Amino acid sequence: MTAVWLPIAFVLASTVRYLPTPPPPTAPAPVPANAAAVRAEIDKPGASAILVNVWATWCMPCREEFPDILHVAREFKDAGLRTVLVSADFEGMEIEARQFLSEHKVDFATFIKRGKDEEFVNGMHDDWSGALPATFVYDGRGRLVRYWVGKASYPVLKKRVEEALARKENP
Amino acid sequence: MTGKSLFVLPLVLAAATAAHAGGVLAIGSAMPSGDVKMKSVDGKEMSISDVKGAQGTLVVFTCNHCPFAKMWETRIVELGNAYQAKGIGVIAVNANDPSVAAEDGYDQMVSRAKEKGFAFPYVVDATSGVAKAFGAARTPEAFLFDKDGKLVYHGAVDDNGQDAAKVDKAYLKDALDAVAGGKAVPVAETKSIGCSIKFRS
Repeated sequence: MTAVWLPIAFVLASTVRYLPTPPPPTAPAPVPANAAAVRAEIDKPGASAILVNVWATWCMPCREEFPDILHVAREFKDAGLRTVLVSADFEGMEIEARQFLSEHKVDFATFIKRGKDEEFVNGMHDDWSGALPATFVYDGRGRLVRYWVGKASYPVLKKRVEEALARKENP
Repeated sequence: MTGKSLFVLPLVLAAATAAHAGGVLAIGSAMPSGDVKMKSVDGKEMSISDVKGAQGTLVVFTCNHCPFAKMWETRIVELGNAYQAKGIGVIAVNANDPSVAAEDGYDQMVSRAKEKGFAFPYVVDATSGVAKAFGAARTPEAFLFDKDGKLVYHGAVDDNGQDAAKVDKAYLKDALDAVAGGKAVPVAETKSIGCSIKFRS
């Protein structure tokens, strides 16, 4: 018995070892976008608030914050929150970005920043330095309610989204 | 037109809310925190004033761990070493809390400076206070002062972190050339995407 099974086990083990095993990406491939394309997504009618998060796979605090961003995105989706995720990953990192989105079960369309940094950073906000993560919260009319740099916790994100949603009644 | 006027007010409001977030040093400002002593990779305590050059002074906030800082590192070292020889004082400042990224610790800075051939001090902003005084927000972020200690350039090294061969605009180099030659800096403020500085709380 052993004589039969050993080679089989060996073949199986080596196959497992040599086959790349990342699960197929489930998240849609992020769409290349400049600041104008992100702006268009913010201005698209139909949302009561918009949450824009600029992140990157190489950015540690972005990765740490990501579950909380998604938590808020899902929690307030039905209340009219549109979440716009923009990866700032470099060219050639599209696969890694999509893999990360898939690991976090992102099932909606997202962007990947393309074009010059300067144009993108200034296009998002004149005062933004370009540091990541950067999060922008807009009301339903596309007016910026708040933006900040650095990781925010779930309670803070929730509060800021609620603040933007509340603006709906007081335009 | 109506659409546009609706849009202007919020932008102004937004700018006002953002301004309190601890404004960045404006062009023309005097050098802040010049006398704060910071430990350099050679073990000596060093202030920005200590490195002041006859032609000007370059302060670069950078760190070990940030992928963007790493991408620009060779260029920063090349520029720093070259312009130090031309009378520009150069200092690299790491304001990151190493408890956030261990790679930003002092020993790692020492090895990095050695490995990359920093000919200028690479110092620890031990309270992150210097970075705060500058209003620095990311790594890498450059501040160039003229010989009178006035800020003449603030921003990115150049316009392509990912690929040095594809740089269109070498902002910092152009500014350094201008300052070293006693001329006006062509572009005074630029931006790039980078890592947020991990300020000590």
